[in-house]
Amino acid sequence: MDFKKISDWITSTQFYKAIFRHGYEDTPRNRAMTTFSNVMYHLHPVKTRKESIKLRYTWCMGGTSLLLFIMLAFTGVLLMFYYVPDARRAYNDIKDIMAVVSFGSTFRNIHRLAAHLMVFTVWVHMTRVFLTGAYKSPREFNWIIGVVLLMLTLVLSWTGYLLPWDQLALWAITVGTKMAAAAPFFGVEGPFGAQLGMRPDTDVKFMLLGGTEVGQNALLRFYVLHCVVLPVMVVLFLAIHFWRVRKDGFSGPL
Amino acid sequence: MSNNGDEKITRRDFFSLVGWAGIAATMGGSAFSFYKYYFPNVLYESQKVFKIGKPSEYPPGLSERWKKERQIWVVRNERGLYAMISICRHLGCTPNWFSDKKVFLCPCHGSIYDLAGNVLGGPAPRLFWRAAVKIDPVDGQIIVDFNHRQDPDPVSTENGLMVEEASREVEPFFLKG
Repeated sequence: MDFKKISDWITSTQFYKAIFRHGYEDTPRNRAMTTFSNVMYHLHPVKTRKESIKLRYTWCMGGTSLLLFIMLAFTGVLLMFYYVPDARRAYNDIKDIMAVVSFGSTFRNIHRLAAHLMVFTVWVHMTRVFLTGAYKSPREFNWIIGVVLLMLTLVLSWTGYLLPWDQLALWAITVGTKMAAAAPFFGVEGPFGAQLGMRPDTDVKFMLLGGTEVGQNALLRFYVLHCVVLPVMVVLFLAIHFWRVRKDGFSGPL
Repeated sequence: MSNNGDEKITRRDFFSLVGWAGIAATMGGSAFSFYKYYFPNVLYESQKVFKIGKPSEYPPGLSERWKKERQIWVVRNERGLYAMISICRHLGCTPNWFSDKKVFLCPCHGSIYDLAGNVLGGPAPRLFWRAAVKIDPVDGQIIVDFNHRQDPDPVSTENGLMVEEASREVEPFFLKG
């Protein structure tokens, strides 16, 4: 067996060359190609200063949030195989995932803990960005994208809260939507709400729940928001967020 | 690894090996857990192993008692009893029994079967399945295993696709007596 011959043949095929566009030589051209032809390096800024990627500066909270988001998407899809957003069986589906399905409790607990942790890491990431002044020009637009992503994280956390369909879920969403009903202008109990013609069956709480109480419509609505609408929005805003980091460069000590 | 003279594993090699083994263990463990997760341990579909009463409840001939609920016919002949699955072997429709002609006719594409499940005509390429049957030692009822099926290779004759009946009346697909 001539392994050199075999490996030469493999690396000469169109299939191989279509995926791996360049070799390993340390030449200026190859160094540039490494960034141009690799999507991961392509998303990453072209240059970063040594000082600005130190752990004591970044706390690595943005990257950790991204990692947690990927973990959540992955385990969330797994949970969708066994969970049906039907008020009659949702609670039992969660019971089955926890007690009957192989590794079901592992994946659900990863999903749950990663969700709690992601809320925490996103907050800490924003705290770090604030404390180091990384929100200042030319990065002020990315700070706004970051605020949107924080809101999406919180709403994702909140919509996922209802899905186990237990007492905790029911009352958490009852409280949350009552807060919506107390919002100015759009909530029936809020300032100027009643004056603007808001009623219990027309205000923002009604829109959120798809009804006047936490029932089947609310469960399905929160499920669709949690599994489709909000994750897609997060991915879109993350794309803008990372693209802005690439354009503006890392902040940090000069 | 250095290969001059006595082979030694350096500290660097050792930790590299430990690191890669850790990654491999993580990948393998995750792959295993994903694989296991895809196979549900509890099913909420209709039962595939079920009881259909005692053999004495079935007089000679065909019983359509379980056709709707369990998709089987129970047939008793002079030698004993078997459970035949009421699924046409052409494209899976449910054939009907015509007692005047003593044949099963498939409503979809006209396959014709006799009482033993032999194909007398039509597009069906194989004979009716027969399901495994046994007697529960406690209450004496027949237990049918819908997923354990007899499917012999048929012989093409001028009357249709046939299988010698004696070869089908064997355990666990036949109850003697």
